Amino acid sequence: MTLEIDVRAAFTAAGADRFEVRADLSVPDGETLVVLGPSGSGKSLLLETVAGFHDHEGTISLAGRDLTDAPPEDRGLGFVFQDYALFPHATVRENVAFGGRYHDIRDPDDLLAEFGVSDLADRYPPTLSGGERQWVALARALAVRPDAFLLDEPLSALDVPTRQTLREVLTDVLADETAVYVTHNRTTARALADRVAVIRDGDIVQIGTPETVFERPESPFVARFTGANCLELDDGALAVSGGRLTFETEGVSAGTHLAIRPEHVELDPESPDFSAPVERVLHEEGRCLLALDVAGQGLDAYAPAPPKEKEVEVTLPHDRVTVLSE
Amino acid sequence: MSADAHPAAGTRLRVGTGTAVLAVLSIQLVAFAAAVAAGYPGAYAGFAILSAGALAAWRNRGAFGTLAALLGTTLLVALGLPLLLLVARQDPTLVAEMAGDPAVQQALYLSIYAPLLAAFASVGLGVPLALLLARGFPGQQLVESLVDLPLVVPHSVAGLAVLFGFGQGGAFPQFEVLQTMTGMVLAMTFVSAPFAVNAAREAFESVPTRVEWAARTLGANRWETFRRVTAPLAWRGVLTGGVLSWARAVSEFGAVAIVAYSVEFFYLPEGQTVSAQHAPVFIYNAYLSAGLEESGAVATLLLALSAAIFLLVRTVAYDDEEGWP
Repeated sequence: MTLEIDVRAAFTAAGADRFEVRADLSVPDGETLVVLGPSGSGKSLLLETVAGFHDHEGTISLAGRDLTDAPPEDRGLGFVFQDYALFPHATVRENVAFGGRYHDIRDPDDLLAEFGVSDLADRYPPTLSGGERQWVALARALAVRPDAFLLDEPLSALDVPTRQTLREVLTDVLADETAVYVTHNRTTARALADRVAVIRDGDIVQIGTPETVFERPESPFVARFTGANCLELDDGALAVSGGRLTFETEGVSAGTHLAIRPEHVELDPESPDFSAPVERVLHEEGRCLLALDVAGQGLDAYAPAPPKEKEVEVTLPHDRVTVLSE
Repeated sequence: MSADAHPAAGTRLRVGTGTAVLAVLSIQLVAFAAAVAAGYPGAYAGFAILSAGALAAWRNRGAFGTLAALLGTTLLVALGLPLLLLVARQDPTLVAEMAGDPAVQQALYLSIYAPLLAAFASVGLGVPLALLLARGFPGQQLVESLVDLPLVVPHSVAGLAVLFGFGQGGAFPQFEVLQTMTGMVLAMTFVSAPFAVNAAREAFESVPTRVEWAARTLGANRWETFRRVTAPLAWRGVLTGGVLSWARAVSEFGAVAIVAYSVEFFYLPEGQTVSAQHAPVFIYNAYLSAGLEESGAVATLLLALSAAIFLLVRTVAYDDEEGWP
C-alpha cells in the first residue's frame, strides 16, 4: 500500500534551538525506503511523526486513506524500535500476542517458531539478549499484520553476527512490504533499500535508488556520508603530485568537488593518472583499505593485498567520478 | 556480590553474604542487650561505631571506606539508638496494660484509619496529577512548586490554613472541619499528598515512552495503553507513594492538633460512634498529664503497629518473585 508523507514538524527541546523536520516522500506499494542520515539529523523524529506521536503540519496517507488526524492505533503502521520497547512485565508470547485484542493477529507461537525462537515464549524480556529481544519485537510488529512498517534503526544496537542474521531476515520479511527504514548505517541501507533518502538537519537532501545515491551523490555531504571519497577541486581540476588532473564539468556550473567510491579507484593501472604516497593500510576481510595522500587530500582505495611500495600508481576512471558543486 | 567473591575476604573466611549479615546483626543485638543490662546503654554506641569501622577495615575498604563507615554509623546510632532504647526501656506490664485500655485502642484505630482515608485521597487525586506532571505541560514548574509547598509549610501553619480555608467563614461553609473527621483527613491530606504525587510521578516517568508507543502501534488506545502497560509498570511506585503518605499522615501532630484535636468517628470493633484523639496527640497528652512512662508505652504500641503495617505492605509489594525482575 502506497504511503504518502508530506510533513513539516517542529521540535523544541530544553536548551536547544528549534529543530524542524521537512519531508515529502512517496513510498510505493511494496517498496522499502531507507532514510539514511547521521545522528541528530531528525530521521527518528520523522518516523515518529509518521507514526502519529508528534504534532505536524501537512498530510500523511496510506493507500489513499488520510491518516493525518488518526491516532497511532488507527494508522495501520507497524513500528520496530531501536531499543526494542518490549513490555517487560509480559512474557515473550504475551508481547507478541499484545495486539490480539484489537486485531486479527497471526499466531504468536507460529511467528516465534518461524524465527526459531520458540524456546523464548515463556521468558520475560529483561532476561533476553539484544538479538533475542529484536526477534521478539519484530514478531510482535508482524503479528498485527500492519499495512506498512516503520523501522527505527532496529539493528544498530546489535553485535555484528546478530546484525547480519537479522538483516537477512529483514530483507525477506520486508521484500513485499511497504516500509520506511531509518538508519545511519550505509551497509544496511544498501542491503535493504529499494530507494534511499539521505536526510540532513531535518531535510531530505537526495533521494534515489541505492546505485544512484551511492554512485552519483549530488552533494559533498551525501558523498561523504555514503562512504565515497570527496576531494576538493581547484577551478575544475584536482591538484596531484606533479600536476593537475582536469575533469569534465559538464552540467555542473562550478565544479568544486569530485566524488568517487573507494572500490572504483584503480591502483597500479596500465596508464596511471598520478602516483600517491600510502599513509595507512587498514586490513579488512580479504582486502586492504589504503589511505592515500593526494597533494594534501585524503583518498581511500581498496587493494587486494598490502602494497609493496610506499607509493602507488592511481587512476580515477572518469566514468566513475562525479563532479559536484556545493 | 557474595563475601567470598572478595579476594581478600575469601582468603580469610568463606561465608555467604546472608550469613555474614545475620552474624553481624546478632552480635550487635547481643552487645546492645549486654550494654542495657549493665546499665550503660551509651557503651553500645561506641561498640557499634567501632565495630563498623573494624568491619570496613577487615573488608579492605581502605582509609576512606573505614572513615565513611565510622561517620555513617555515628548517624545511624543517633537515629536508631533513641528508638531502640524507647522500646527497650518500656515496662512490658505497662505496655500490656495500655494495650488493653479502650481509649488507647481507639486512638490507635483512629491513627490507622484516618491516615488511610488521607492516603486514599492523596493517591486517588494525586495519580492523575502525577500522570500529567510525568507527561509535561506548560507551567509545569509552577504546579510542581505548588505540590511541594506543604513540605515547607510548618505543620501548625498547615493546620491554621485548613481552618482558614475550609473552616468557619472559609471556602465551603457547608463543611464542618473543626474537631471533625473531615477536618482531620483534610489536614492529613494537606501534609501527605506531596509524597503520593511525587512518588507516582517518578513511577510514571520511569516507564519508557517508547514502550507506551509500541502499545499504541499495536492497536491500544490511550486508556488501554495506560491499563495494560503504564499501570502495571508503575503500580509499585504508586503504592510506595501511598504508603509514604499514609506514614506521613500517621506521624502528623501539629496540623491535626489544631484542626481536629478530638474527633467522633464510627469505631468498628464496638460498632458505635466514639470520640478519640489521633495517637500522636494522645501521646502528647499522656506525656503532659501522666508522664514519660505512660506516654512511652503508648508510643511503643504506635511504633510497633506502624512498623508492622509498613513491613506487611513491603512484603506484599516487593517479595513478588514471580514475573519480571
